[in-house]
Amino acid sequence: MTKLIQTIVDGLGVGSTYALLALGISLIFGVMHLVNFAHGELITVGAYVSYFFFLHGGSWWWMPIVIIASAMLASVATELVAFRWVRNSSPFTLLLTSFALERLSHAFWQIFVSPKQRPFPKPAWVFNQFKVAGVSFEVMDLVTIAVTAITLALTAVVFKRTLFGVSVRGAAEDFDAARLMGVRANRVISGAFAFAGFLAGVAACLILMRTPAAEPSMGSDWLLKAVIAAVIGGLGSFSGAVVGGLVLGLLETLTRAYLPEVAVGWDKFSTAVVFVLIAVFFVIRPDGIFKVSHAERV
Amino acid sequence: MTGTTAGLLRVTRSTLASAALIAIVAALAAAYTSGGGASRESLIAEMLSNFILVLGMQVFIGNTGVLSFGHMAFAQIAAYTTAVVGIPLVAKAKSLPDIPFGLETVHFGPLGATVAAVVVTMIIGGLFGVAVCRASGLAPTMITLAALFVVEQLVKNWKELTRGAGGLSGIPRLESDVWLWVGAFIALVVAHLFQETRIGRFAIATREDELAAPALGIRLFSSRYAAWVVSMGLIALGGSLRAQSLGSVNPKQFTLDSGILILVMLVVGGMRTVSGAVLGTVLITAGNELFRQLGDPQRLDIERFPDLFLGGAMLLAMLLRPGGLLGDRDLAGWMRRRMYRRPPPSGETPQRATNALVASEIEVRFGGFVALDGAGLTVRPGEVVGLIGPNGAGKTTLFNVITGIVHEQGGRVMLGDRELTNAAPVDVARAGLARTFQNLRLFKNLTVRENVALTALVAARHRRHRPRPDADTLLADAGLTDWADRSAGNLDYGNQRRLELARAAALAPEFLLLDEPTSGMSDQESQAMVDSVRSVAARIGAGVLVIDHDLGFITRISDHIVVLNEGRVLAEGTPETVRANPAVAEAYLGSSA
Repeated sequence: MTKLIQTIVDGLGVGSTYALLALGISLIFGVMHLVNFAHGELITVGAYVSYFFFLHGGSWWWMPIVIIASAMLASVATELVAFRWVRNSSPFTLLLTSFALERLSHAFWQIFVSPKQRPFPKPAWVFNQFKVAGVSFEVMDLVTIAVTAITLALTAVVFKRTLFGVSVRGAAEDFDAARLMGVRANRVISGAFAFAGFLAGVAACLILMRTPAAEPSMGSDWLLKAVIAAVIGGLGSFSGAVVGGLVLGLLETLTRAYLPEVAVGWDKFSTAVVFVLIAVFFVIRPDGIFKVSHAERV
Repeated sequence: MTGTTAGLLRVTRSTLASAALIAIVAALAAAYTSGGGASRESLIAEMLSNFILVLGMQVFIGNTGVLSFGHMAFAQIAAYTTAVVGIPLVAKAKSLPDIPFGLETVHFGPLGATVAAVVVTMIIGGLFGVAVCRASGLAPTMITLAALFVVEQLVKNWKELTRGAGGLSGIPRLESDVWLWVGAFIALVVAHLFQETRIGRFAIATREDELAAPALGIRLFSSRYAAWVVSMGLIALGGSLRAQSLGSVNPKQFTLDSGILILVMLVVGGMRTVSGAVLGTVLITAGNELFRQLGDPQRLDIERFPDLFLGGAMLLAMLLRPGGLLGDRDLAGWMRRRMYRRPPPSGETPQRATNALVASEIEVRFGGFVALDGAGLTVRPGEVVGLIGPNGAGKTTLFNVITGIVHEQGGRVMLGDRELTNAAPVDVARAGLARTFQNLRLFKNLTVRENVALTALVAARHRRHRPRPDADTLLADAGLTDWADRSAGNLDYGNQRRLELARAAALAPEFLLLDEPTSGMSDQESQAMVDSVRSVAARIGAGVLVIDHDLGFITRISDHIVVLNEGRVLAEGTPETVRANPAVAEAYLGSSA
């Protein structure tokens, strides 16, 4: 029982980070049908910015603000320099554009900083343990889940209650109609990129508190999982992204913890099993858990 | 022209185009290696195995437009199969002492190992492809991505079979690089030939428009799956030859990153054509090498600059030429157009089709909204029926029900005595209903003639009992002869409409279903459209069901008019009686009329 609870808490911790990233990917997909493979690079940007600030006496008290701000700026910048110019192209072109940005980001950090890992200090309390009813947790688990919950609540308020949020949702449903209703494309899309950057920035803070180091290709692994989570949930669906992230996180930790008990000697294949399940899922439900129907006229 | 000579011509053309391309690459390679040095030789060897992998990806991704990240997984399966059956027994006993499946006694020569790799990969990949090709949207891409990681994990962890992350060495090396050239040539011929086959043309049609292709009788799954299987064969050839060229395999050769390198080669040159894939491979290999030399080996720079180059090349290609440098320009395509001889017109007199199209008591609800509430219509053979009604009356929904795009909750659709109720679009098309689309769904990157010829190919297979007009006659009727070799996307609007009509007619259907053929046209153009529709219908002996907002157009073209309102038939009859009906005027023009 103790093991199960700990595994679930672990899973929710990883899963909520996936969820934050997946939400950003789903949001961008909603407004411009782009599966943004450069989204994970926002974590990398946050990491290098932290590294530079810590070189000059940074502190974790204000570092999250810097990380989030830099991720937002970088996100908006990618739209300005690249995505704006291919906005009406095929999803294939859009996706490859984002892939190109991901490559360039890797090269940039390799050339101008170093291909090697650059560590910086972590907050002192991160791995402190505390016990509830005989089950021990890390402080960071709690922080992760709490921060994610607050961020998601904030996101819900923004998209339900503010003009910006409503415009974005309208644009995601039917961009042409939204435009006729006076929604300005450039502003909505820039705003969506800024918000996706904000979500990635929060995720970056959570990731960097645990593993405080900058590395050129660190964003890619997170990104792949987040893309998978977003597609599992149903691209363009906000609740889908959150559910997809949590499901993926739980699936990963549960297989890692329990697969050896179910099938002896299979522990080394736990990652493979997760991906097999993912593939099977997409065969059964190609449109994800929450299917989003796009306005397409025949 | 008989089928055999046509087939022979296609093989000759593919071989000639392949020979020309490989000669160019060989000349470049010879010029490069004449500078001397073993590293230059090995770069050419690396390029050749990449070359085969790029062509393998081109056959699937280029022709179907479905992005796959998983191809490297199958190259890896092929490479490891080659290693496991190709490493001499003594060496194998040492490196893989616990090898399963009785493989400890299996040893093949180079040719046997290559064939084994291709067969194994095509079987595993073929099973996998069923899942990939059935899905739509982004799911296939995600499934291939998952496949990549599954295979990577298996290779790293199934140590009895693969020796894990360290990889396997001791694979007998190719005696000469000539075999790589042979492999590249085979890959070129296969990739060229695939684009010449009927199923390959169909795959291209599905790439151009996922909705229009089935509506013209092309099945998405079978054409994509054919592309997938052929692609697996080439990928396996590339993976196996790479293993034999290097003499070793390890998981690092087949990561997502290495797959992206291949993908960049494909998209920068132009994924839609074989020539584009070749150009991309040469350019990216050269550029990569150039940037590699910019790096300073002392500073761990070696890997950095190629990343910069790859990202930059891909970004520039996407921003400036999303179709790649060559776009749709292609040596084989150019030869095809040069060698094109107009076949003699069949001269068959069109006999009128004999079946009636009957839709009765159709009910469709979208959630709580009732779109069709018992509407129905009959189109007799050779008759032109106009379907009108105010916005939201259910015209397009009825159209979509008949063509299988929307499923009805009640009612029947019959063509003669053939039941088409809830049939799939592809079966509806093959049964003899060809449609056009309200907002034009042409195969934009294909030439005007190819648009029509593609449906003619479907007709040749599935509509043999009807006389088939040849593509050139239909193009001449539509006044498009002078534009036959232009790409369809470059036509002006009116001509695009006429091309869509000709394309539907090439299916030799019993009925043409036209969804707002005059939308966005001037009065003059729409008058001309009346004549076009009438003459095309007469040419193929088909009846017509047409939706339009333009009351003038509908009354001029129709023998019979059906008026829909709020999901029901409000009135029907000859144009005169319908015009005189006060209920129609009220529904159409509002109560003020």
